[in-house]
Formats: sequence, structure tokens, C-alpha cells
Amino acid sequence: MSLETLQPVAAPAPPPAKKTGKKAAGRRLDPLTKIVIGIVMAILVLLIAYPLVRILTQSFSESGRETLAEMFTSSTNRTIITNTVVLGLLVGAFGTLIGFAFAYAQARLEFKGKKLLHLIALLPIVSPPFAVATAVITLFGRGGLITNKLLGLEYNIYGLTGLTLVLSLSFFPVAYMNLLGMLRSLDPAMDEAASILGANKWKIFRSVTLPMLIPGFASCFLLLFVEAIADLANPLVIGGDFTVLSSRAYIAITGEYDVAAGAAYSLVLLLPGLLVFLVQRYWAERRSVVSVSGKPAGSVRLIRSAAGRIPLLTVVGLIAALIVTIYATVIIGAFTKILGVNNTFTLANYRYVLSGIGSDAMFTTTILALIATPIAGVLGMIMAWLIVRKVRRGRGLLDFFGMLGLAVPGTVLGIGYAVAFNKPFIIGNIQLLPALAGGAGIFGGALAIVMVYVIRSMPSGQRSGVAALQQIDPAIDEASTSLGASSLTTFRTITLPLIRPALLSGLTYAFARAMTTLSPIIFITTPKTKIMTSQILSEVDAGRFGNAFAYCTILIVIVLAVIGLMNLLIRDPKVKTRSR
Amino acid sequence: MAQTAAQAPAQSLASETGELHLDHLYKHFGAPDAPAAVDGINLAIRPGEFITLLGPSGCGKTTTLRMIAGFEQPSDGKLTLDGEDILGLTPDKRPMSMVFQSYALFPHMSVFDNVAYGLRLKKTPAKTLEQEVNFALASMSLTQYADRAPNQLSGGQQQRVALARAMVMKPKVLLFDEPLSNLDAKLRVQMRTEIRSLQHKLGITSVYVTHDQDEAMTLSDRIVVMRQGRIEQVAPPTEVYRRPASVFVADFIGRANFLEVQNHRVTGDGEARQATVSVLGGMHQVPAHDGVSDAQPATLLVRPESVSVTRIDAVNHAEVQIAGNVGRILNSVFYGSWIEYEVETQDGNITSVVSDPAPEDIMDSGTCVEVRIRQERCWLMPAQD
Repeated sequence: MSLETLQPVAAPAPPPAKKTGKKAAGRRLDPLTKIVIGIVMAILVLLIAYPLVRILTQSFSESGRETLAEMFTSSTNRTIITNTVVLGLLVGAFGTLIGFAFAYAQARLEFKGKKLLHLIALLPIVSPPFAVATAVITLFGRGGLITNKLLGLEYNIYGLTGLTLVLSLSFFPVAYMNLLGMLRSLDPAMDEAASILGANKWKIFRSVTLPMLIPGFASCFLLLFVEAIADLANPLVIGGDFTVLSSRAYIAITGEYDVAAGAAYSLVLLLPGLLVFLVQRYWAERRSVVSVSGKPAGSVRLIRSAAGRIPLLTVVGLIAALIVTIYATVIIGAFTKILGVNNTFTLANYRYVLSGIGSDAMFTTTILALIATPIAGVLGMIMAWLIVRKVRRGRGLLDFFGMLGLAVPGTVLGIGYAVAFNKPFIIGNIQLLPALAGGAGIFGGALAIVMVYVIRSMPSGQRSGVAALQQIDPAIDEASTSLGASSLTTFRTITLPLIRPALLSGLTYAFARAMTTLSPIIFITTPKTKIMTSQILSEVDAGRFGNAFAYCTILIVIVLAVIGLMNLLIRDPKVKTRSR
Repeated sequence: MAQTAAQAPAQSLASETGELHLDHLYKHFGAPDAPAAVDGINLAIRPGEFITLLGPSGCGKTTTLRMIAGFEQPSDGKLTLDGEDILGLTPDKRPMSMVFQSYALFPHMSVFDNVAYGLRLKKTPAKTLEQEVNFALASMSLTQYADRAPNQLSGGQQQRVALARAMVMKPKVLLFDEPLSNLDAKLRVQMRTEIRSLQHKLGITSVYVTHDQDEAMTLSDRIVVMRQGRIEQVAPPTEVYRRPASVFVADFIGRANFLEVQNHRVTGDGEARQATVSVLGGMHQVPAHDGVSDAQPATLLVRPESVSVTRIDAVNHAEVQIAGNVGRILNSVFYGSWIEYEVETQDGNITSVVSDPAPEDIMDSGTCVEVRIRQERCWLMPAQD
């Protein structure tokens, strides 16, 4: 089951390394560790801090200040902000609900095809951002297969409805994974206790299960809220007249060439993004009442009664059917001239994609993602090692710094890169950095794209690394040290091999993420470096859905193939993660 | 004392290095005004000596060990090995090996690779390496497990691997951090014996942390009893047991009866220091601690095995007055190889242990008895502050 690799990463992030107790205290940093910290810091400053600082300076430049001043005074901008917030709220609510329905069915109902349902729920994680939107347009758009051809409706899917549907379907897997993890770690003894006190299943659900999941709901809602307001691809494809902050920033930069205004819009996007990240990470997780450490005392009695199963399974089944239909549309659409209009079978779409521009983009994207992934993985592991084992004072700050690449909305990151790296970095007369991004950038801007991939993917490596390291007895490190190994030797010969499974699953996720990301790189792609996701966008823009579908299937195949390969590596039986 | 003499030959086999000096070692965690975890420790460990740091949890014994290993940096003080200051050395540069409570075996390496790890870091030539690892494995009866992964071994075997891994480095000092506390009781006793005989054979200076007094008593040349970051007493096991420096030590090691004593008279000095005390309605000549003086309140330590009880002749035990050395049994508990009585006396409740009791001699609660103490086995020390 290849997709299961994603499980540990998508599960709730461990809280930032808590007190490791007295024994971890008073450790002195050896010079080698200090050098490593220095190098990592320099990388982080270049990859994330500097672009963010440039967004700030641009936003507060003269024309940026104008945009900022108009942000709440002009009615157009007020509408955009309202739109963004409404979209975030709706997607947060629906996504969490769908995620919970799937998770509850998975964890507590008895039915056949659980594994299949699990895979269906994870499908949106590995697919490029347009697959859902484009398929939804084909199915439910003005000339949609279902709305128009089947039901004869003149239905307009563009706008808030379409966006909410697409974004909820795209992002609910995050909520699903989080809530499933929580439901599974709830101690069954609590259900048993409630039931022996006279509560029936429904009463247990309302008075025991739900209240314990409230922090989980809150944290999922917030995560989805941020994902939704930060998304750029879908508002461009299916937003119609419904403008949100991210699409407004995109228009400002690509249409009006007003970088300062774009920076200002993205700044408004950045603040809630960071705030929610902080709240989610440092509050919601701490409030969690789910006991992870306790040994489950028994197993949950699955719900078998029809009254309990039928309503939920119907809802979940319908949504699963919708997801399957959507992806079937993508696959069928890729082999059809114009799905819904001219349904003749053709290979022309694949021919277009696999030759010329398409194969260029495919090749470049895969290569760049393959370059970025190991860098991100190793960097993430080093960060995790520093956070869990080395740095005591300021480890929370280091953790936050490392997670920034994920906390910052993609659109903001992309604009930051465009602002920071499109021109050489010059102080006085000395050129400190050549232009890294854009057509004039070195390697045709490919370096900047790798940088984006790295900073965007590193946090998932860091997160799984922290989780893995916290399970490894610190005495193992100390044993190595006392046998004469320096801190770096210990990392190389002991720590790294032990966290290899976490590293690999982090890498898998990082790769999938890099391959399917659009918002951060759309601002820095150049004619020389074609990236699949931005190619898909232009195909969708041009109305060539067939090509877009072909791109999407190929992208999904590449991602699944790499995940499968990584899985084979993880299966190595010699690796054990835990001491004793 | 006799014990140290008996060990003299063993020590002569030992290398002449591994002399460890702890000089006013301090360790503060957190706020500077918080109580010190280790509060100024002085300790001179002789080459080849087996030293046990013993105390309740939180007494600073583990912190002390970790400072010796280099995993903690002392807030103040000096640490020398064979006269050389080693505080500036990181743990990997100190010629010491450590055996951990959790074994800390590398789970991704075979038993052989675990033991070979340190030697490989030292760039030991392949042939020597193999010989030494195989020798270490053989001496721990692990040869047949060389290719196993650690998690395929039992707890006792894992601890043997940890020992072999530490030994093979031929360190000047071996450090043990409660290495037996994860083993079951029988295995613990067996490993205890093995560690002791191994250390005798190799003569490596050893510092062993434990909260288990049996381990401390059976393993050590000298025991360091710690309390709240300070050393209460450093002495060979017999002395710690018979001549404890304080009520705390007496209470921590073995079982003890404490009798409050007044109007005692002290004579003599050092070994010959004695006191006349009046307990259980009689005068007793008992050895006394240097810190005891006539004016200060004092406590008499009487070990349960130094108390004997004999049934008195009386028609109705319930009517017997408790006075002088006559007491009444409150509890009588049979343990198999010994029986334990709790006796109410005029000086408080006293526990008496009788070993190898004959079934017909066992007395029930309510029985009145004459209580006798072996005065030369008692110990008078200053009352607890």
C-alpha cells in the first residue's frame, strides 16, 4: 500500500521537543556542533528569512504602503479580504467534517473495503492542485457532464461554491490523517468505562469521544483555513470573479507588474498564516487530551448496527464516489479529445505532453525535485538532531525557524523569492549574490526553484525526524560518545541509520510535495525552466483540458512510482527504530 | 577492613592507572539559587578500586557519574585522572567506558559490530580488532550470539553485550549507571557476581551508581552514600553497615531499630570510643561514633538480627506489664528462612529477626518476651538533625 508511507508525516506533528528532563541539561556544545548550527542558520537565513524580510521592505516601500493603506479602506479590497476569510471558514469547516466522517468510519465502523477507502481518502495528497479543479469544471461546469449533459442544468460552478468544493476535497486528507491518528490513540478503556456506567454507543460518542477530539477539530480547522486562504492554483482555475488575496497578489505581480502591491497583499496573507501556525502548533497540540503514551487496554468494539452505520457510510460513500469520479475524469479526459464535447479516444494529449515542451517540463521538474529532496531530507534531519539532541536554549525558536518554510503560505514564499532573488544582491558596490531566480538567474532560474523545493519540503523531514529522534534513547548517543565517537561520527554512524525510516518517509512526502506544488514557484518559473505544475496551469488557462489531464496523470504516475521505490527501500528488514 | 586486605592480591594485578580525584565538584541545574544537584563532592578513587555511589533518587549520584563521564559539565570544581585535569575533555576523549541502565545497544548493528564499534573508531587493525572482540564476547559467553541483532537477545544477554562493549575498550575507568535495574531479581544476583569477578580479574577502576543496597554491599570495595548532593559516608561495606556515619546511612542500608538515648556517658577515642547507655531497663556498653558527646542527644542503632527474644514464663501473657526488657509481640511474620517479630517495649517498638526458626519455637502475637540486644553490635551515633 504505497500511500501509507505518507502516514507518519501527515499525522499530527509532535509538539516541539518538550523538557527532556534533568539529564539532558547542561550539555555543552562542541565546536563541531556550533559550526553545523552556523551553516544551517546561514542556509535558513538565505532560503526563508531573507525573502520574508524583502517582502516586508517591499510592502513598506512607498507604493507598497499605498496598497497597505487601501487594504481596509477601499471597498474592492474589503471584498477581497471578506472573500478570503469566508472561503477559509467554509473550507475549514467542510474539510474538517469530511475528514472526521472518513476517520470515524475508518476507526469505529465495521464494513468491507476499509483499505480502499483509506487509499481514496489519501488520493488528493499526491495529485497536482489542478486535477480536482479541472475535473470538477468538466463534470459540473457550464457544459458539465453531470450538471448539463445529465441533468440539463445551466449551473455555474465558478466562484465560491466551486472553490469550496474543490478545496475541501483537496485538503480534507490532512484532517482525515490527524483525526484518524487521534481516534486510534484514544484509550478504548474510556469507552469501556463509559459503557459500564450505562452509556450507549451514541451517548459515548457525544459525551466521551467528541469532547476529547475538540483540540483535534480546532487544529484541523485552523490548518485547513490557512491552506485554503493560501491556495493559488484553484482560485485561478475555478475562482471566476471570486477574487481572493492570493489571486489578487498574483494579478498584481504578473498582470500589473506591481511587485510592491503584490508584496503588500501577500503580507496580509502571511500574518494569519503565521498566527494560525503558532496557535495550532503551540496551543492546540498542548491542549490535546489524547494520551499517546498509554498502552491501549483493549480494542475498540466496532459499530455494527445498521442505525449507526448506514447514515455515515452513505455520506462517506458518496464523497468517496465523487473523488473516484473526479480522478476517473482526469484519467479518461487524458485519453479523450475534449471530454464532454468530443468523446473520441485519442493519444494526442499524451503525444503533446510527452514530446517537446511537455517532456522538457517533465524532465526538469523531476530532476529538480530529485535534487531538492535529499537536500531537504538531510537538512531536516540535521535540524531535528539539533532540536532534540543538541540545542537546549532556543530549541523552540530553532524549531519554529525550520518550520517557517511550511508555515508561510506558498504564494507569499513565491513572491518573496521573486522580490529577493530576481536581481543580484548588492551591498554598496559588492555583489554578494548573483540573480538566482527569473530568466536572468543562474541556471535559468533553476537554482531558485530548487531552493523553494528545499525550504518547502524540509519541514516535513524535520517534523518526522523530531518524532523519530524523540523515540530513541539518548543513552544510545552517549554510549557512542563514551566509546570515542565525536558528535559528527555519532550522527553519521548511529543517529542517521536509526532515523532512516523517518528520513525516507519524510523524503517521500517532500518529493510528492515538490512535484505538485505551484504557488511558490509560479512567480519564479522562466521559459528556460519549465515546471509541470505551471505548464498545467497554462494548459488549463488555454482551455486545453485534455493536455492538462494528461499532465496530471503523468505527474501522479511519477509521484506514485517514486513513492513505491522509497517504500522498497524502507522495507529493509535490518532497520529498527527503537532501542531495546 | 578484613575485606580490603583480602583484595590486596587482586589489586596488585591491576594497572597502576585509573586514579580518579573529584575535588569540590558542584553542579547546579537551572536557577543559580536552586539547590545544587551535587554540592561540593570530594572523593579520591584509588586505581583498581570498585566504588559504588549509593543513595535515594535525586541524591546526585547519577549527576556525579555523568560529570565523571563528561556528559555533564560541573558548575565548579576539579576532576583529575592520574593527576591530569580532564574537565576540558569531551566525553569521547576521556579514557572511560560506560554501561547504561537501558543498555543503549545500537539496534541497527549486530552484537559483534556493537562491541567492535569503539575499536573501529580507534582505527584498530582488522586482525587485532577481531581477536579482541572475540575475546570480549567469549569472556561474556556471547560467542554464539555475535551475529544476532540486539533485540533478538534477552535482557541479561543485552546487558552482557553492553559490558563487553565497554570492556573491550580497556578503559582506565569503567562507569556503570544502574546497569542491573532492568533485570529480574535472579538475573540481577547472577550479573552482580559476574561483574564483580570480571572487575577483579581486569582490575579496572570502576564507579557504579545504584540505589540498590544489596548491589552496593556485594560489589564494592567502598560505598559512597549520598544524600541531597552531599556525601554522607565513604567506607567499606562492613563499616557502612556496622558503623554508619549518620541515622540516614543506617536507615538507608539494611534494616534498623533506632532507640533514643539520654544520659549516656562517652569514653575513649576513635576505634575505642565507647558509651554507656541505658536502654530496655539495663546498662549497655556500646561502640560510639566520634560525633557523640555526653550533652548531645544520641540515637542507638540496633540491627534486627542483633536482637533476640525469649518467651517469658507467665500464666496469662495479657496481664504482663511491659517494663524493663520485657515486651509483647505485636506482629509475627514468617518468611521461610527467617521470622520477624515486632515487639512493643518501654523504649518503643523493636524489630527482631530470628533466622532458621524451628516451627515449634515460633511465637504468636500477644506473647510476652524478654528482649536482649548484643551490645557490641550496637552503634551509638548523634541523633538526626
